[in-house]
Amino acid sequence: MVSLDLATLSVRDANAQLRTLGEAGEDVEILNPDARHHIGVGLTAPIHVTVQGSAGYFCAGLTDQAQFNVSHNVGWGVGDNMYSGSVVVGGNAGAIPGVAIRGAEIVIKGNMGSRAGQVMKAGTLCCAGNANFMAGYMMYGGTIIILGDSGERVGEDMSGGRIFVAGKVQDLGSDAMLTDLDQKEIESIHEFLDRYGSKAPKGFSKIVSAGKKLRYGTPETPMRSIPFNTFSGHSAYWNPKVQEDIAIKAQSGRYRIRGYGGARPLPHLSDIGFRKDLTDAGTHRDVVAKVRMETEIGGINGARPLKLSMPVMIAPMSYGALSRSTKYAIAMGSAMSGIAENTGEGGMSDAQRDAAGQLIFQCLGGRLGWNIHDMRRADALEIYISQGAKPGLGGQLMAKKVTPELAQIRGIPAGIDLRSPSRHPDILGADDLVIKVEEFREATGYQVPVSVKLGAGRIRDDIKIASKDGFDFVELDGMQGSTGAGSAEVIDNVGIPTLPAIIEAVEALEEINARDKIQLVLMGGLRDGIDAVKALCLGADAVAFGTSVIVAGGCISCMQCHIGQCVTGIATQDPAHEKRYQPEVEASNIHRFLESVRWQIAAITQALGYDDVTSLNREDLVALTPEAADITGLPCEPPGSDASQRQVGVVS
Amino acid sequence: MSVYGLERISVPVSPPGFSDDTADPHYVPAPCQVACPIGTDAPSYIGYIWEKQYAEAFEAITATNPFSSICGRVCDAPCESACRRESSDGAVQIRNLKRFIMDKLGADLPKNRFAVSRQESVGIVGSGPAGLTAAFELCKAGFSVSVYEMTDRLGGTMVWGIPQFRLPSGIIEEDIQRLQHQCPELTVHLNTALGREVTLDELKVRHNAVLLAIGAWWGKPMGVAGEDHPRVEDGVSFLRRINAGERPQMPETVVVVGGGDVAMDACRAALRLPGCKTVKVVYRRGPDEIPARKIELHHAQKEGIEFAYNTLQTGITASGDSLALQCVRTKPGPPDEDGRRSPVVVDNSAFEIPCGMVIAAVGQKGASDALDAAGLMDADRVRADFSCMRTADPKVFAAGDGAFGGSTIVMAMQHGQRAAYYIRAALDKIDSPIAYRTPYRTRRVPVAQDLKWEQLGLEEPVFHGLGDRPETFPEIEDTYDEAAAMREAARCYRCDAETGSTDYSVRHREDLFSMARTHPKDLDKHRAMLQRRLESRDNPYPPQRPASLDDLVFLPANLSRLVIDPYREACRIDIDLGQDLKLKQPFLVSGFDDAPEELRQAAWQAIDDNGAGVIGASAPDPKVSWLQILRPGESCDPAAAGYIERWHDGLAQQASIPGNGVLKGLSVALTEEIEAAVDFALSAGYDFLLLDSTGNHGAWPEELTTQPRFELLSATVAALRQRKKEEALTLIFSGGVRSGTDAARLIAMGASVVVYGVTAAIAMGGEIREGQILWHSDRTVEERAEGLQAILNANAGEASMMARCTGKTRLHNLEPEDLRSVTLKTSSITKIPVPGHNVTGHLGQS
Repeated sequence: MVSLDLATLSVRDANAQLRTLGEAGEDVEILNPDARHHIGVGLTAPIHVTVQGSAGYFCAGLTDQAQFNVSHNVGWGVGDNMYSGSVVVGGNAGAIPGVAIRGAEIVIKGNMGSRAGQVMKAGTLCCAGNANFMAGYMMYGGTIIILGDSGERVGEDMSGGRIFVAGKVQDLGSDAMLTDLDQKEIESIHEFLDRYGSKAPKGFSKIVSAGKKLRYGTPETPMRSIPFNTFSGHSAYWNPKVQEDIAIKAQSGRYRIRGYGGARPLPHLSDIGFRKDLTDAGTHRDVVAKVRMETEIGGINGARPLKLSMPVMIAPMSYGALSRSTKYAIAMGSAMSGIAENTGEGGMSDAQRDAAGQLIFQCLGGRLGWNIHDMRRADALEIYISQGAKPGLGGQLMAKKVTPELAQIRGIPAGIDLRSPSRHPDILGADDLVIKVEEFREATGYQVPVSVKLGAGRIRDDIKIASKDGFDFVELDGMQGSTGAGSAEVIDNVGIPTLPAIIEAVEALEEINARDKIQLVLMGGLRDGIDAVKALCLGADAVAFGTSVIVAGGCISCMQCHIGQCVTGIATQDPAHEKRYQPEVEASNIHRFLESVRWQIAAITQALGYDDVTSLNREDLVALTPEAADITGLPCEPPGSDASQRQVGVVS
Repeated sequence: MSVYGLERISVPVSPPGFSDDTADPHYVPAPCQVACPIGTDAPSYIGYIWEKQYAEAFEAITATNPFSSICGRVCDAPCESACRRESSDGAVQIRNLKRFIMDKLGADLPKNRFAVSRQESVGIVGSGPAGLTAAFELCKAGFSVSVYEMTDRLGGTMVWGIPQFRLPSGIIEEDIQRLQHQCPELTVHLNTALGREVTLDELKVRHNAVLLAIGAWWGKPMGVAGEDHPRVEDGVSFLRRINAGERPQMPETVVVVGGGDVAMDACRAALRLPGCKTVKVVYRRGPDEIPARKIELHHAQKEGIEFAYNTLQTGITASGDSLALQCVRTKPGPPDEDGRRSPVVVDNSAFEIPCGMVIAAVGQKGASDALDAAGLMDADRVRADFSCMRTADPKVFAAGDGAFGGSTIVMAMQHGQRAAYYIRAALDKIDSPIAYRTPYRTRRVPVAQDLKWEQLGLEEPVFHGLGDRPETFPEIEDTYDEAAAMREAARCYRCDAETGSTDYSVRHREDLFSMARTHPKDLDKHRAMLQRRLESRDNPYPPQRPASLDDLVFLPANLSRLVIDPYREACRIDIDLGQDLKLKQPFLVSGFDDAPEELRQAAWQAIDDNGAGVIGASAPDPKVSWLQILRPGESCDPAAAGYIERWHDGLAQQASIPGNGVLKGLSVALTEEIEAAVDFALSAGYDFLLLDSTGNHGAWPEELTTQPRFELLSATVAALRQRKKEEALTLIFSGGVRSGTDAARLIAMGASVVVYGVTAAIAMGGEIREGQILWHSDRTVEERAEGLQAILNANAGEASMMARCTGKTRLHNLEPEDLRSVTLKTSSITKIPVPGHNVTGHLGQS
């Protein structure tokens, strides 16, 4: 037994030693924990850790195999995302004990705080005392045993798993119901309690999902989309698109769902022009070799940065929304072009990890597919707060796409209409986020950059918070970003366009002298090297492409991604449809697209008179519409105006 | 040869006077259309088939193709190889769809007929696809045209080269008749061969221009010893005999040498003839390189033809009636200039194939002694310049296989069109005409709304093969029936059509496709793409565009606010307007005063169930919350929860309406009325204002035809604020409210309740037609009630989703600060700021 004394050691150093001791198989005793956060985070060895005293947030978080004993109390999030292993807490636990666990056993001898076992997938959470409100909130699987009273709204919106309550069931949460226990279940509870030295009470109530909210009711009639030019701002008020929406909603009684990004025209980088005449751009041979484009993202706080061959990466898109083959093709294509790929919400596959050169691993509120092992093999971690297409909403994956294989990697029941939580269980405000970022850094030894994905809204405020929370970079997503499935109304009406998003972000950071404290990666409706250069001029450090990469790789933009029957095998989990996708062919298409983007960035940068993309700046741009001028503060020179004619030498 | 690359980027200009839609910013020709040498508008006719608009499909097919019926059977369909669905679960069967239409309507005669309107005449030698297509185009242009055909019928290779089991003769006649119907003044000289019945000089005298479309009528020799044996025949001669009606007795085994389409037709014809039991095809390369069209090869294999690949003939030996084809084995050699790997002979691999007949289908050539004598021929074809279709003789043009080598029917047709274009230019005395480009038209057909379109598999037509009596050459396969045609048509991706996404419009998508298919070293293409991508788009918000609710977007909660989970967490939407009007949903419904009674019944049922209300002049069912529209002189109905009077200047002088504790409302329809109406409402103790933005209290015809005046709301809120009475009057907004999102926007700007008029009507089955709502007897009262309930529920859900996205747990807590305007015009009316540079500080004050 080795003793680590937190009176003299920082948690960071202690955790580093724990990992080494773990590999050596040494059991450890933590002295003077004094309720410090992150004790034992990231430990993946089968050792015993005894905490002599109380632990703070996320004790034993992001671990696998280790066995923890905490003599007194723990703060919130004990055993966060724990795989196998166990935690026994002698006293009380704060909120969300056992959050997102995927197999661990967590035993609280005292009482536990609210939302116990939120989004847990497997394992057992046991509380000898009383639970606070909403135990089992949105749980997908596993078992919660409460020997005292249930607290209010127990089992709120659970979609799988079981909750056993020995005391009073105060009231049932939404879509939870009481059911009978069988003898086997009673025996297994007794066995569990025996193992942890707890006395089994006489009887239990059993709570499971009532299943009424797992699937949408009346399915929406699938329709191929009406062309945008029939419902743009130029057409009649009660246009065919409006009529279709009303008719469809009058059948389903529900908002419409669709894939893809904004349908209608919004202010866009297209409304920005270049001050210089670019007619001769790219006439020099070999412009790509003449312009420095290598970009490092994520290293500003000392982590190992992503090394991009150009200021471009792939936008986060999930395995789930997209087929495995498509994610594989994108991974290959991005690796061929020396840029980073992003897992999106759905977890990481081996094939994707192997094919991608650099891979960002995204963490969402449902913690679907999130785990310590994949964190360790990621090149960057990303906390998703929201996305441009549907900020404020969690991911939607219709049942057709929630196959057993997909459900397994995400740790959820198959065949549900998956609506991911809109919030993280453990991020209710900016201060929580600081602690969460810290947990990720502890789990990965401060080696891996941590970013935040933000859908653009009150960016002027949000970006300041993000910079103070210690992120290395932000992936800023305007409302023109796309999605595999979302409320059509939210896609088109919530958030601000990508163009004002970057303006507000840069200005806000400058206001607090923090422009160099965080890097900005802009995305949301960017389609080519021209859009990329404009974004860089406006202050982005890099850009990300999502939909355009999918289009390059064979998507025909039918906007039916949510149906799950993608005709090209991209947005589907149906093997018969996925077979239609040829990953190797599409990977080379994606690669050529990215190389075309590279050439365009180089050609424009050189034509603007620079040999390095970091020289690009606002002075290179003009606004082409009054809206774009108002949004950006750039001078307005509409095409055909005197000023713009002067640029091309028509008016001397 | 493709007319311009499938990687598209720059479409060459279309010559003047062509029907061409490529200038339309919403149109990019689909890959299938670009792959078609004559630019057939395949996506449109496929769309028409799904819509069962067969006459329109027929028009789209025949507009550029005088041999549509023939092409429906035997076109080599380059469109299908280009089809984007080819790489997933098989190309859309475009040729079979054409066949379906032509079988239905092929005998129809189009109305447009071409009269002679020009002095000049053109003589055309040869009546194959090139010659007759040129004739068709030149007749269309008004020239008088004469065709000289050496055989006894029109059609050339289409008649003599393709066996009837693939192309029954009736099909050919159908096209010829249609052509002759459309070109009534076309003069046809049958049995008139060049150099025999007529000379080139005579033609040059008779006509202002001469087009040589002589075809590749003669088979090339194999160049091996023994091929002069009487049982060795070339493929085209053999097919010519068969197509003339001969059904010769065949030996048991026939060998066909060659791997092209003539070889396929010859081997399959041979197999059908009496006496023949085995046909072997000998081809010098491997199965991946055989040039025959895949489907012909596939059919030949299905019929039992044997294939000897990597086999090169070296000679023919004979003993009595039996022959032996002497062969060697080959293997692929190094790639040549085209990237094809020439076969090289494998040492010591000689063997022989015993047979009774050898058919050599190793290529064709054109030949004409007369043209030879005139010095217009190369070795095996007319010498001509493809860029202008001219021969060395300034008056003589050339087209088709006879000038440019063996090709396909559809390519020969393109030659005909090209030649017609350049002949016309020459006769118009245009020295250097704009280069010919196939025109691309679209008929803008909506995409098929088949629910299974992405699942539907390729429809294989029923294949009969040899059939019961092979020697009668029954047709090998069936035409689709209507259901199969519909299913196949629904499979089309409709690459020509816009989808609902502005940022990924068809033009952007094609550019992205191009970027993904251009080699990084192809700098010219990259430069062209860059210039095209640099073109600015039209301002989506031109000055004449009115302010619109659409321009207001919601600011989502992220880090600065807590998101309320729209899938799970509650959001209150109810509103209490007084003791008699507690709405569970903040919605009223309007426009039912003049509606049929069954609609009124349905509406009352739904409104009551949902806890919404109604505004109207006539009383609804007593259980429904009702705001009564008072017409002049009317009094308040005891059943009403409140009444609404139209504001006018004289109202102040009138006696106030008696009503015990009911809600008093004033309606305002014009911005200029607001100041006075607000003052009066405040002084006279009114409870609410109805902002009647389309007039007539939410009646449907007005709502359908009037641009909603959203400025009413912001102006009223401003007037109340100015008087420091912001909470004194409840605001109800009517007119142009389409969705829950619209409701949330209006509520954020200060309304408490919104009114659905036209929206309710559509939800109940109403159809907008000519500014009115039209009703059909297609649903029951219950179904109409369900429709209204559903739209109110959906809109309630949408409105509260917007509120929760912004971090609100109550819809009515939405405020202007939760909005941004994406246009300056809407911003100036609503005072909602445009995001970006001019939004400063977290309150977003501009």
